[in-house]
Amino acid sequence: MHVPDGFLSPQITIPAYAVWAPLWAWAARRHFGRAAVESLPVIGTLTALAFVIQTIMIPVPGGTSTHLVGVTLLALLYHPLVAFVCESLVLLVQALFFGAGGVTVLGVNALAMGLLGPLAGWLAWKALHRVNGKVAVFVAAYASIQVATLAVAGALGLQHALSPRYFPLPVAVVLPAMLVPSLTAAGLAEGAYTVFALSLLRKANLRGVTLD
Amino acid sequence: MTRAGALLAAAIAVLAPVAAGAHEVLHELERDRAISLRAYFADGEVLAYAQYELYSPADPKIPYQKGRTDRSGWLSFVPDVPGKWRVKVVDQTGHGLDLEVDADAALAAPPAQGRSAPAFTTAFVLRPLVGLAAIAAVFGGLVAVYRRKGTRP
Repeated sequence: MHVPDGFLSPQITIPAYAVWAPLWAWAARRHFGRAAVESLPVIGTLTALAFVIQTIMIPVPGGTSTHLVGVTLLALLYHPLVAFVCESLVLLVQALFFGAGGVTVLGVNALAMGLLGPLAGWLAWKALHRVNGKVAVFVAAYASIQVATLAVAGALGLQHALSPRYFPLPVAVVLPAMLVPSLTAAGLAEGAYTVFALSLLRKANLRGVTLD
Repeated sequence: MTRAGALLAAAIAVLAPVAAGAHEVLHELERDRAISLRAYFADGEVLAYAQYELYSPADPKIPYQKGRTDRSGWLSFVPDVPGKWRVKVVDQTGHGLDLEVDADAALAAPPAQGRSAPAFTTAFVLRPLVGLAAIAAVFGGLVAVYRRKGTRP
């Protein structure tokens, strides 16, 4: 799902950085202050888990693969901005150590996968959690992946419209190619992972881990 | 046959191979001159039939070569000028790579023998551990700093 370096022009990456950097700093200051010290071990563990599951490729028919994101859990347990800060860290580590994504496109990837996706998931959960808790969590994770995918596809499509030299495929090709695996595989897997991980965390009864 | 007919027949006999040669496609075979690049994901899955563009250092704006990787994720090109050639491989799902290939170094190196499919290497295992260590260091460091200063703001 990550947009690699070189696929987006400064016309997109610089405005994305301009939104991402102050928002990240504000979110980190607000949610990772001294008051959060008791939650940090769990948040750190879930961030590490998100990092690991993003490296696991799920093969999809058609010769491609997809992967989970795993930070919806953080959005539901703590706040969408916690997910945003943590996913940004994951993306930075992936860019520096794996060559996945990239530093120039970090703002775009973080806003799509770390902010818009988890925020959509959190809103879906808010709307549904009084009806059925597990269904709400599943739908939240599913929606999170779809919104993140749409955002990444939108950024690539916009880039093609601005300058095909950076990204030669039109949105009519990219959108279905990204959405089909997302709708049929990644979304379902993300939903199952989030429901399963949340039930384990509840059983573990960790301090600071609640989902009201 | 008249004299004119004989001359015409002689002209046809001489020119026919030339005329035929104008449409003949010839080929030239050289080994160990092309640069080959394989695109694959970290888990070893190759980017088969992925679209790619190649830019020469002589003209970084107009692609020198365009095409698709083969079934095994390979693309090849024959550089005509030294320098850094830019290769951009784009998967339909937005994955891909954008890198520079040094034609000088690649041409000077001895041809690879018996290179096989990408496999699970030590780096493949170690890099996630490095990533995990980096994340652990960030959160561990934050907890250590806060505990040292006290949790009260």
